[in-house]
Amino acid sequence: MDNKPVILIVEDEEGIANFISAVLKANEYKIIKTDKGKEAIAMTASYSPDLVLLDLGLPDMDGVDVLKTIRAWSAIPIIVVSARGHEREKVEALDLGADDYITKPFGTSELLARIRTGLRHSQKNSDVNSAEIKKITVGELEIDYDKRLVSISGEPVHLTPIEYKIIVLLSRHIGKVLTHDFIIKEVWGPYTNEIQALRVNMANIRRKLEKNPAAPRYIVTHVGVGYRMVEELD
Amino acid sequence: MVDFGDNRPNPDDILEDLSADSVNKKGRLEIFFGYAAGVGKTYAMLDDAQEQMKCGVDVLVGYIEQHTRPETIQLMGDLPMLAPKIVEYRNMQLKEFDLDAALKRKPELILVDELAHTNAPGMRNKKRYQDIEELLNAGIDVFTTVNVQHIESLNDIVEKITLVNVQETIPDYIFNNADKIKLIDIEPEELLIRFASGKVYRQERTEKALENFFTKENLRLLREIAMRKVANRISYDNQNEPRLSPKMANIKLLVCVGASPFSAKCIRWTERTAEAFQAPWTAVYVETMESEQLTDQEKQNLRENLVLAERLGAEIVTLNGSDVATVIAEYAKLSGITNIVIGKSRTPKTVFSLFKTSLEDRLIGMLSSIEVHIIPGNTLHHRPAQYRKQRRRLGRNLSFSRTDALKTAAILIAATLFSLVIHNLGIGTPNIIMVYLLSVLVVSRMTMGYVYGVAASVLSVLVFNFFFTVPYYTFHAIQKDYPVTFFIMLIVALITSALTVRIKTQARFAVERAHRTEILYEINKKLLASNDLEGTVRLVNEYLVKIFGRSAILYTQDPFASLAETFRQSPLEPDSAFLLSEDERAVAHWVFMNKKSAGTGSDTLMGARAFYMPIVSQSHVLGVIGLSCTNGKLSQDSRLFLRVIASQIEIALERHHLSNEQRRVTIEAEKEKMRSNLLRAISHDLRTPLTGILGASSTILENGDFLDAETRKTLLLNIQDESQWLIRMVENLLSVTRISDGPMKVTKTPEAAEEIIAEAVSRIHKWFSNWKISVKVPDELLMVPMEGTLIEQVIINLIENAIKHSPEDSVIRVEATKKGRNAVFEISDDGSGISELEFPYLFEAYVPDEKRSADTARGMGIGLSICKSIVNAHHGKMEAVNKKSGGAVFRFILPLEEGENNGQ
Repeated sequence: MDNKPVILIVEDEEGIANFISAVLKANEYKIIKTDKGKEAIAMTASYSPDLVLLDLGLPDMDGVDVLKTIRAWSAIPIIVVSARGHEREKVEALDLGADDYITKPFGTSELLARIRTGLRHSQKNSDVNSAEIKKITVGELEIDYDKRLVSISGEPVHLTPIEYKIIVLLSRHIGKVLTHDFIIKEVWGPYTNEIQALRVNMANIRRKLEKNPAAPRYIVTHVGVGYRMVEELD
Repeated sequence: MVDFGDNRPNPDDILEDLSADSVNKKGRLEIFFGYAAGVGKTYAMLDDAQEQMKCGVDVLVGYIEQHTRPETIQLMGDLPMLAPKIVEYRNMQLKEFDLDAALKRKPELILVDELAHTNAPGMRNKKRYQDIEELLNAGIDVFTTVNVQHIESLNDIVEKITLVNVQETIPDYIFNNADKIKLIDIEPEELLIRFASGKVYRQERTEKALENFFTKENLRLLREIAMRKVANRISYDNQNEPRLSPKMANIKLLVCVGASPFSAKCIRWTERTAEAFQAPWTAVYVETMESEQLTDQEKQNLRENLVLAERLGAEIVTLNGSDVATVIAEYAKLSGITNIVIGKSRTPKTVFSLFKTSLEDRLIGMLSSIEVHIIPGNTLHHRPAQYRKQRRRLGRNLSFSRTDALKTAAILIAATLFSLVIHNLGIGTPNIIMVYLLSVLVVSRMTMGYVYGVAASVLSVLVFNFFFTVPYYTFHAIQKDYPVTFFIMLIVALITSALTVRIKTQARFAVERAHRTEILYEINKKLLASNDLEGTVRLVNEYLVKIFGRSAILYTQDPFASLAETFRQSPLEPDSAFLLSEDERAVAHWVFMNKKSAGTGSDTLMGARAFYMPIVSQSHVLGVIGLSCTNGKLSQDSRLFLRVIASQIEIALERHHLSNEQRRVTIEAEKEKMRSNLLRAISHDLRTPLTGILGASSTILENGDFLDAETRKTLLLNIQDESQWLIRMVENLLSVTRISDGPMKVTKTPEAAEEIIAEAVSRIHKWFSNWKISVKVPDELLMVPMEGTLIEQVIINLIENAIKHSPEDSVIRVEATKKGRNAVFEISDDGSGISELEFPYLFEAYVPDEKRSADTARGMGIGLSICKSIVNAHHGKMEAVNKKSGGAVFRFILPLEEGENNGQ
């Protein structure tokens, strides 16, 4: 028996499914494939794969419904595959519990990186309670939760309480895209629409953390979707 | 992607057209026509309905009269029946046809008995035939029944035969326009037998009905009339093509309408004649000085007569003038009238009538080529009424006005004083007579009506006699010739006063007429000058309020479909906001759907508080005018004038519709042109990379074993590059489809410029890692209203363009700055710059081949043109310049006016 992670590919385009499975096999993953939403749900239940790669455009049912059904009973990492220009679809999928998304057309390196992040997350979640993590480090950025301190190259950064809240939120979900709505709800509470405030705060955080705010390294923008704190610098 | 199927008719559109057709389709009307009650109309109707139901038609019995015979009720069998509407009226419960329920139920065929029935007060329509018209408009077929005596144009003939005045009539057009007439006929003898056995009316009513109506003689005559009416219709149907001789077709009738109730007879006579000749006819009313003095009853009669003529299909004309004969003669000559119909009362000859030439004689004298028909009036009937009227009119003329009396007295006293002065100066009596004549003239001029003029005439003769004839200060006259003087003086004074009053009245008419013409001209001119619908509507409302002194409302669409009405309050009325209420809107909606006037003063929806008139253009309704009736009903005259104005509005609205249509067609053509240009450009651009991919992949597949690793890698890299180019192209095309519906479709939200630039740069960096991209944004957060993904596309395209034109390892600079109320984005490179040849076509999607620069490596294709369309859609500006130090700068500017929110 080998310990290769099992990846379920739900994709109705044969060409794309072929290329993804080729790449993943070459990178030491075990593959199961389907092109139907109902089968995907059944296979998730019976094989319990380590990660699901879910295309939102399926012939038999809406990919979003597949996502909802699986999320109802499983916390398995799900990466949604969607076309560019469908920002609303992505936001909906993320808000419904998708862990990440990848935009068609994508390159192999990008795909592998996302899968790695997704798998790591699920392990982390099962191994240790995320609240027990005391410190997080990305490149020169260091966040110490106990001391409530954010520093860059050892220099402490002065943040307002809201800015700190946002950074902590992003770092707790490091590697994952957080939608605008999600961040707003977590930071300002429900029933508010502070999208402008969020943008302003993000701009300030960027100016405090990044060398060039127009070429951010730690917190990247996904236009029309949300923000993500990167796990590893390029 | 681009929609290739646009030129083909869209199946949805066709379906929509079809359904629109079926909505517009009018129902068919079938009338079961009989000559008297009891001939079996209802029976025949139900029989036919049963037949229809067997054929699978959805039949509904809308209403069947209560006195229906048992045999008939039996025949109803299992036909579904609509419950009648119960209306309370003076403590009676009346059963009425429930129109709204029928419209809601919408069967294919509905049976409604008694077409001529008058609805109980409080129903929407006054008459049942109006209900039926609504059913037909809703596309429901209708079966109905009617007897010959209810036909409007035959009403008086039937009355003459049977001596029974039938109140319930239907206009002839209903009968004439019916799709099918079924004559139900039995022998009069048989009908009488049926009748005697109580099959027609229930026993208690039989006696009375028999006496009045059901005599053998009457029935025969009625039968003949009914058959002739149907025969006329058949012969009319046979003349589908106009086979009339030109002479026949040229017949045009004119009927003179007055306030007398017997004008109606003339109108009906004319209608029958016109129908027989298939000729158009006009009803003319001449407004003279006497019209001012009509009693209310007469005004009401006149209005009814004109309404009757209109209902029978006449063109209504109101003329002004003092002399009826001249006015009619002029009008007849001008509008090519061939026959004139006038009524003549058999009034007993009086001394006065000896001096007066009758109207018909004068007309015949003036119009040698026009035939004049004289219809005798029934004096017996109307004599007492006439007398009463005359007395009332006299009373009206003698109505006492204190100011006028004072004026008369003052003028006469002044004249007398003046005369006394000149008399004392020894100036002769002829001059004094002149002074008095002058005073009579002044009195007539300054007072209303004949009374004061006549009084002044008599008084001045008396005063002259008293003061200035020997013996003075008595009414005796010594000289023998004085009575002659008095007589002539009286006559002259009377004529003077009569003439003055006439001139005055005419002047007033002339002013009124001129005023109306002027208003019409003004409206016409202004409507022509107004270019937008809004302006036209505002203008119309303004004028309606000004002319009629009533609050006005104008709908230019179905009042239910949109809330886009314009309302204007008249200063002469209390608050008229009720025009905007839901109930009034429903009336306007009815008018819009049924193309008929309704509201106060009409026959339909009389409960409304305003009068509504549709603006109809060639069968479709362009709008509805509503005039508030808080201050009383609109007069017939005002309605006619409103109609004239409505026709002006119709022209103006029609013009707008046409120009809108024109504009739409132009835009559509423009779009089509753009689309085909784009398609041409795309296919040109796509061919190159596809050829490359196909070539490289087939090379590897076919000759893979003979290729060295290096070559194979190059070929694979080529495939990758070309595919990436294709993907970028497709994303550009996606952006185009998002904005091709017009600039209104861009949904702007404030976005941070740096976030957009950052994402664009990170995406382009994945493809072109050999070029350095330096980005600069202001320290203050720059929020720009935009559609983020589209602007990101613009930046990507511009950076890609810069990369294409600059050597590897060179630096591309991207910079965003805030300048005044604009955000400026600049992408500059150190490359070759833009060649002179390319400048004019830089942002064009499709460049004619001969103008295309030799630099095919550009490969941007439609990229730059898409940038420009996106920026334009954001109401921004786009420009490109060459730097002095070499290289090009592409710049686009987006306005910040919405959601300006910089920094904290």
